[in-house]
Amino acid sequence: MKLTRRMTLAAFAGVLALGTAAPAFAADLIAIITPSHDNPFFKAEAVGAEAKAKELGYEALVLVHDDDANKQSELIDTAIGRGAKAIILDNAGADATVAAVQKAKDAGIPSFLIDREINATGVAMAQIVSNNYQGAQLGAQEFVKLMGEKGNFVELVGKESDTNAGIRSKGYHDVIGDYPDLKMVAQQSANWSQTEAYSKMESILQANPDIKGVISGNDTMAMGAYAALAAANRKDVIVVGFDGSNDVRDSITSGGIKATVLQPAYAQAQMAVEQANDFIKNKKSPEKEKQLMDCVLVNGANAAKLETFALKN
Amino acid sequence: MPKKLTWLTLVALVGLSLSACKILPTPSAQDGANASGFNPDKMVEDIWVAKVTPYLQQKAGPFAEVHALAKTDQAAAGAKYGNPKKQANSPWTFAVRVEGKIVAANTQSRAATMDIDVDGDGKADARVQIGPAIRGTALRDSLDFVQFNDFTNQIDFAQFGKAFNAYADKTVLSKLPREALEGRTAKVLGAYTIEGGQNLPLVTPAEAEIGPKP
Repeated sequence: MKLTRRMTLAAFAGVLALGTAAPAFAADLIAIITPSHDNPFFKAEAVGAEAKAKELGYEALVLVHDDDANKQSELIDTAIGRGAKAIILDNAGADATVAAVQKAKDAGIPSFLIDREINATGVAMAQIVSNNYQGAQLGAQEFVKLMGEKGNFVELVGKESDTNAGIRSKGYHDVIGDYPDLKMVAQQSANWSQTEAYSKMESILQANPDIKGVISGNDTMAMGAYAALAAANRKDVIVVGFDGSNDVRDSITSGGIKATVLQPAYAQAQMAVEQANDFIKNKKSPEKEKQLMDCVLVNGANAAKLETFALKN
Repeated sequence: MPKKLTWLTLVALVGLSLSACKILPTPSAQDGANASGFNPDKMVEDIWVAKVTPYLQQKAGPFAEVHALAKTDQAAAGAKYGNPKKQANSPWTFAVRVEGKIVAANTQSRAATMDIDVDGDGKADARVQIGPAIRGTALRDSLDFVQFNDFTNQIDFAQFGKAFNAYADKTVLSKLPREALEGRTAKVLGAYTIEGGQNLPLVTPAEAEIGPKP
């Protein structure tokens, strides 16, 4: 009994000591907010950012907004409430996000945006995004080549609220539009979703059996479209995606999907954390707010080098 | 044959406006662009003679020199012929003059090109785009007075890049001959972006002349 009490006391003292010491030793917090991890692209961002944050001695708070601007706003409140020193954000809408990032800024918390831009400058500390237009051009040029500059094709577009869906579509058409013998017979949004792309592709194929190619705004939709084509015994249809996922890599190396465009998601997220760290520790702001990272074409020639949104040498 | 050529030229001119594609509206971005009265074609037209060609003329080096330096020391080549204010992660784009003999041409593709031998060894050293489809944004990216940060978003920046190509095609490239190019001389002022891989450097012209048939 006596022993127990002493132990309890000791434990209590220990807790007290820890309690008082904690503020001095607790790691600073970095909030990492992205769309749903169901898409491996966003997961790679979150994993990359978290790994870098921990490596630099931070605690990481990983959250998902599911492309819901209201939820994103609540998550920003959470980050502010938890006293985060910086927010790494792949945002839920180019317009809707401006106010949320401003709110964090007003609370003294800098935001480092990755992947998607917002329609304002001077609110976020950094906007590090893939050059989606340049990437879309690469993908479309490869698509045009594979199509032999002619034939009917289908475009699967991403989620409309995501600014990158529009940028990629525009990049595709800026290239494809120069080839009048390429005819777009259907253009539909499958909201970045594999299952939605599968069902959309099924019905598009029924209405347009004479298609020669499908250009997709991302890899998950490309996977869905290819699965539908394969199920209909139409593996001859040329499919090109965008993102550079491991799934599409495996499809390319096994002769399925023909090409994709790699976005350096992992490196991008890590770069954002490094810039956040520089600001937190040295009060050093990034040289430029808007920073573009170039994309790389992935096809049969280099697909084997692709792993988790990075090309190995 | 001449009839077919006229037809091709027509397609080249009309093709830009009569595109087979329909652009999906992206409300936020397009509203932003319209609200600010963003007109990339007009912007390029306004600066082409006053700023773009003078800048390239002053900055450009002979292709052989630029490319040799780029292969050994990209940073040095960038400092001399490149845009020092480029995005840190982007590859260098260099201003160049390409003068030499056309050793091959691909006018079957709408992204037509001609391969130029600049050192007289009979082998192609550079591939020059002659449209009407033009790849990349080398002209835009070669200019130190064009900054991504000055644009609302990637779409505006991209359209601005495309407007350079369209302007070069309209005012220069669409007027070039397309037949029997091999063996003729070519003189080009333009820009190219350094790429990995084995492909010939792809030059986008701002000015181009093709000599008479030999």
